[in-house]
Amino acid sequence: MMRSLFAALILLPLLSWAAPEYGTVERDHIRAELIAEITAVEPGQSFWAGLRLEPDDNWHTYWLNPGDSGLPTQLHWDLPDGVKAGEIEWAWPEALQMGHLVNYGYKDGHLLPVRIDTPDSLVPGETLTLVVDAAWLVCEEICIPGDATLALDLDVIDHGQRRESPHAALFADTLERVPEKAGWTARFNTEGGNLSVQVVPEDIDLSGDLAFFVINDNLVEHAREPSVLAENGQILVSQPLSAYFSRAPEQLEFILVDHDAGQAWHLSAETGELLSAGALVDSSSPGWALALILALAGGVLLNLMPCVFPVLSIKAMSLVSGAGHDQRGHGLAYTAGVLVSFAVLAAVLLALRAGGEAIGWGFQLQSAWFVALLVYILFALGLSLSGLFDFGTRLMGIGQGLTEKGGSRGSFFTGVLACVVASPCTAPFMGAALGAAVFMPWPMAMSVFLALGFGLALPMLVLSFSPALARRLPRPGPWMETFKQAMAFPLYLAVVWLLWVLARQTDPTGLALVLSGMVVLAFALWLGGRESRGESLVVARHAAVGLSLIFVLSTLFSADRFGGAEAVSVDNAHWETYSAETLAELRDDPERAVLVNMTADWCITCLVNERVALNTSAVREAMEENDVVYLKGDWTRRDPDITEYLSSYDRNGVPLYVLYPRNGEDPRVLPQVLTPQLVIQALERS
Amino acid sequence: MMQVLATSLLLALSTAVIAAPQIGQPAPDFTLTDTQGNEVSLSDFRGQTVILEWTNHDCPFVVKHYQPGNMQDQQRLARNQHDAVWLSIISSRPGAQGHVSPEEADELTASRDAYPNAVLIDEPGDVGRAYDARVTPHMYIIDAEGILRYMGGIDSNPSRDPEDIPDATQYVVVALEQMAAGEEITDSVTRPYGCQVHY
Repeated sequence: MMRSLFAALILLPLLSWAAPEYGTVERDHIRAELIAEITAVEPGQSFWAGLRLEPDDNWHTYWLNPGDSGLPTQLHWDLPDGVKAGEIEWAWPEALQMGHLVNYGYKDGHLLPVRIDTPDSLVPGETLTLVVDAAWLVCEEICIPGDATLALDLDVIDHGQRRESPHAALFADTLERVPEKAGWTARFNTEGGNLSVQVVPEDIDLSGDLAFFVINDNLVEHAREPSVLAENGQILVSQPLSAYFSRAPEQLEFILVDHDAGQAWHLSAETGELLSAGALVDSSSPGWALALILALAGGVLLNLMPCVFPVLSIKAMSLVSGAGHDQRGHGLAYTAGVLVSFAVLAAVLLALRAGGEAIGWGFQLQSAWFVALLVYILFALGLSLSGLFDFGTRLMGIGQGLTEKGGSRGSFFTGVLACVVASPCTAPFMGAALGAAVFMPWPMAMSVFLALGFGLALPMLVLSFSPALARRLPRPGPWMETFKQAMAFPLYLAVVWLLWVLARQTDPTGLALVLSGMVVLAFALWLGGRESRGESLVVARHAAVGLSLIFVLSTLFSADRFGGAEAVSVDNAHWETYSAETLAELRDDPERAVLVNMTADWCITCLVNERVALNTSAVREAMEENDVVYLKGDWTRRDPDITEYLSSYDRNGVPLYVLYPRNGEDPRVLPQVLTPQLVIQALERS
Repeated sequence: MMQVLATSLLLALSTAVIAAPQIGQPAPDFTLTDTQGNEVSLSDFRGQTVILEWTNHDCPFVVKHYQPGNMQDQQRLARNQHDAVWLSIISSRPGAQGHVSPEEADELTASRDAYPNAVLIDEPGDVGRAYDARVTPHMYIIDAEGILRYMGGIDSNPSRDPEDIPDATQYVVVALEQMAAGEEITDSVTRPYGCQVHY
């Protein structure tokens, strides 16, 4: 029995070579046919021919990389002299779960197209016969190898009408599913047990339902679904390496499929460092130049933001009234103020990043006193615009005073103020661009931040260098007064937003202190702005203003000292508040696994991760099923315990996700960008 | 509801993935019953090299190596020249393709002129899973100290065409020769190719 089976297996190919078959042939669990998109060929013409395979229901054949088992279908052509066949153009496959393995292949009827080139020497009137020896493996629970020698006749015609075959539409559909070769920059590495790939797509927005198929075999664990993330204009793919992985290939070949767009790309990646997109973006690439231009334009646009505009009107008014003075010096000092502040903020940001952190632009909002300070500044500016007192003139006066002493400090600090005040407005406006910059090497990232600052300073700089333009500035008048008063309201809204952030960082007492500080500040400004009536009153007034300001300052710093709003008790909260003691206790229990999440309200990545991964019901159920205790540490305001915890993992920022497996095994740090699958798989292995 | 479904699917998927044993680490010990009804443990063979061959007689890739006699040649070479123990293991669950009774297994051995020390039946699949045996044929070499020295494919040509056997690197043969010469095994982990094991 076995021997006759062997004999049949060996003889089959020989028999089929002897007699090529036309039309559809039946083999075990599959039908095969050689087809072409045309019925007649002109000499010298190129066209598509291919093998059409139709496996039975639930049976499948394999893609170029078959996955954990299986074999790709193979074609060997037997063609007349001068006729050439190309390689199979594989349409993108499906990932097929087969028991404990995953295969890449095709479940339904499919076509393997091949481009055929013909020579000019074909003689019209004769017949061109294509013969192909096809070998495949068709599998369900079991695998059955099959092969056939298939033939197709095409009339050779003189130049004439293209004669499409009934299969033309199938060729068109299939070719649309063939990944397009793209020369996008891509890197990969195989460190840490994962294949990590980073792709920078060009001229295309990839964000839909993305799938990744590696072409190199024996590289990844196909049964472990790859995580594919599109963010900051790049695509990050990660898939565990195969247990049978031995060495990294020199070049990684893979395809990316955008199922939403119905498009796919064939890419190659070189091996290299992935830490930052900077490794991919060299200074000659359009990416960096584009980022510079965008940042510059974004900076100019920042001038229109409600929170920056009032500062600008102060500066503009000082320019208007300061005609005749050293306007260029003022413009330069203002620009310097903006640039220096941007440089300082960027330097802190990049220094933190160099420490292994990907932090957001709004990191300075972490400290309650900084937020409270911004509240006071914006509130004071708002009051000034509402007409409670004339901040502009006074500041301008100070500026003039300083100028007369030969300094441009007033202008410089107006620049600093513009930057400080602009920062909360920047977050929603330039967030994505700055996020991208954070991934560049530091000289380039710094240049992007400076371009943003220069853009912010540019309109004022141009005004100061062009007296003609400055003279055209509208003079203050009744219209300006109305406009100024209207401008106060966006500022009050900004104050409300900052108070919300503050409320999350401090407790009701701290918030009440800052709020009363605002009232006292308003009082001091009102008092300070009044006309003087007599010597004794002036002394009393100065004393009152001074005392008020001292109170305001003290509230500023005490706000920081009050405890953070304790975990708002949400009925369905599925986490417990982190403390070192709780963690130690849980770690002593060999039955429990613990997931620690370090987060902050001002950390956008943290909020996104919680929303898309940690707080999904899938993850919550996985936590329950796997008996994982979820501890959450809130770093919205400073917390030395959490800072210490972070530094024990060589971090100085959030997010940080650490999973402690049961039985006291070594903790594992999860990536900073989470997906539900990633968390669930990690929980499962806890 | 969909999320519950997706979760359980993911959980099922991730439990199915078991880490393979590591080269250079002790190979998992096991005890199985052979076709004669004897209990056979890996630890019985301490002091000898042991070769594990996961097999399924109907799998075209197994047929590829039994039909021209390549597998039998390797079994003879291993046992006669390297004093190794060759254990063929069948992990197909009862009812699944490839599952055989002890009698059928012996018939197969006789009809194919195969030369293993024993054919072991692993119906629950526990041993196969412990070794992360994925396909048939899937090969492992364990040295005299019980350390795993090789795991992976039977040869370097993942095809079902017996004609390419002479051109392929026979990984088990090469590894046995390198072990005998006291050298490092060049390819200690290779891609196992073949049919899935039907656990």
